[in-house]
Amino acid sequence: MSTTNRRFIIAYILLVGVPLLGLGGVLKAGRHLRAPISIDGTWKVETRANHAAAQPCDQAIASLLNSSLVVSQSGKALELTLNGTSKTTVAAELDGSELRASVGARAGCSAEQPVMLMASIDPKAEPKSLTGSFSVANCASCSPLEFRAVRQVKVQSGGEH
Amino acid sequence: MPNLFILTLQLALVLAVCRAVGWLFQKIGQPKVVGEMFAGIALGPSLLGWIAPHAAAYLFPPSSLGFLNALSQVGVVVFMFLVGLGINPKELQKEGHAAVLTSHVSITAPFVLAAFLSLYLYPRLSDDSVHFTSFALFMGAAMSITAFPVLARILDERNMLGSRLGTVAIACAAVDDVTGWCILAYIVVLIRAQHSSTSIWWTIGGILVFGLAMIHGVRRLLRGFERVYRAKGAISENLMALMLLLVLASSLFTEYLGIHLLFGAFLMGAIMPKEQKFVRYVLDRFETITITLLLPLFFAFTGLRTNIAAVKGPEMWMYCGLIILVATMGKLGGSTLAAWLSGMPLREAAGLGTLMNTRGLMELVILNIGLDIGVISPTLFSMMVMMALCTTFMTTPALALICPNHVLQGSADKAEAERVGAASMHLQNGEGAAA
Repeated sequence: MSTTNRRFIIAYILLVGVPLLGLGGVLKAGRHLRAPISIDGTWKVETRANHAAAQPCDQAIASLLNSSLVVSQSGKALELTLNGTSKTTVAAELDGSELRASVGARAGCSAEQPVMLMASIDPKAEPKSLTGSFSVANCASCSPLEFRAVRQVKVQSGGEH
Repeated sequence: MPNLFILTLQLALVLAVCRAVGWLFQKIGQPKVVGEMFAGIALGPSLLGWIAPHAAAYLFPPSSLGFLNALSQVGVVVFMFLVGLGINPKELQKEGHAAVLTSHVSITAPFVLAAFLSLYLYPRLSDDSVHFTSFALFMGAAMSITAFPVLARILDERNMLGSRLGTVAIACAAVDDVTGWCILAYIVVLIRAQHSSTSIWWTIGGILVFGLAMIHGVRRLLRGFERVYRAKGAISENLMALMLLLVLASSLFTEYLGIHLLFGAFLMGAIMPKEQKFVRYVLDRFETITITLLLPLFFAFTGLRTNIAAVKGPEMWMYCGLIILVATMGKLGGSTLAAWLSGMPLREAAGLGTLMNTRGLMELVILNIGLDIGVISPTLFSMMVMMALCTTFMTTPALALICPNHVLQGSADKAEAERVGAASMHLQNGEGAAA
């Protein structure tokens, strides 16, 4: 074997073979990593019918949700599109199976009364379900709007590409 | 039914904006295609949707995007056929050890670094519907790809196609693309198998049989096109239609097998005859409409899916910066090191590394597949698009800085002298032996 060939083989082993072994190690180590629960997609929403809309702010909450909620997910960071009478998009955060978002002040509520969303996901349910409520901060007389949402079956979009 | 008024308006707008921005980019020394990529992003929520949301909502209503996507995908199918057509495996054999080592390192270095980065990004930017292996392999494939067509365009514009640097770069990019697409095919199969009742082994077996039939059977038949071209100096419209039909059939077959339409188109191009004049003839026939109209639609569609505003806060921007850094370190650093160790002068090796770092359009194609099959999230998609734009944009100025024309000319003269010297030595030896 010539010196050039020997040098090529050594360089190949060091620069290609060793990194590939490293890749094997990384793939093995990565199997133990846990990523946040997948909640992206469209959710069918059911709100509690007996929501009291005594305060003007209650009406603002009631108009937030209609029949669906769309979640766009990037890890723990979420973007929720609330398909109410006016389409509202808010940023939310996922902490384990708890979802939190501040919808901000709504018409009818004062600036000190931001609407908050708190919900928890049942990761074992199939399809996944979400139970939570919209509530108004700093408003003792406002009643929260409770809801339950079920994730719609995700369509694998690879085929449409 | 598509709203024809809106669709025609979209076509006109995309065409006008892409041409204008492409022209502007050419004025600052960038290839036109880089400008078109930026134009596509500008038409999406990152710019138009941000500064004029109502106009954006009117011009690109969600109901119209399906038709725009369908048209752009036809363009990408033809484009992938043309990419495969431009790839010539013999180029690599000509360049010997240096090209083999450089091309393989230029895949493994960014691939392994991307896998390491995935350990950090997976819990932060992915979710549990995606397995770590799929995520890491996809990130690896996306970071190790080189934009073969953009690279060829840059080399052509700088008169470097015939230089040693140019030929090694073209050979390495071809190997990178073929390898990258094979890895991507595996990932697509892996992910689709999770949602399909068909066994993964059935799919892999089908792909192998299809690949072998194409390489050992269909390739021979395709030589008929070249024979006709050589005899008549042209190919009839009917034969061109047949060629297109074969591309579509191959695309449909790979889609049916569970990989992707684009693999079939790419494979059909790769097994076409590689006689230079024939390749140029076919490229000329297909390129005009594909590159002028259909690819800008793909850029626009990619731009409509890219939302730079989704990269919010210092943490997200740090992830984005890390992606760009790792992609550049792996590709530029890995290729430079391998080329230098193979005996290339350091400056030329760095030039090769810079060229290999061009990701361009090929990256956008891969990223769109990743978003479609759900292996990357919309925010990660936006970050990766920014990485593609950044690494492609930096190529021309970095190359001018590292390898100014006089350096390239000097090295080309030296290489030519070495080649002539070796040839005359070989001739003398031959004559001696004959005597």
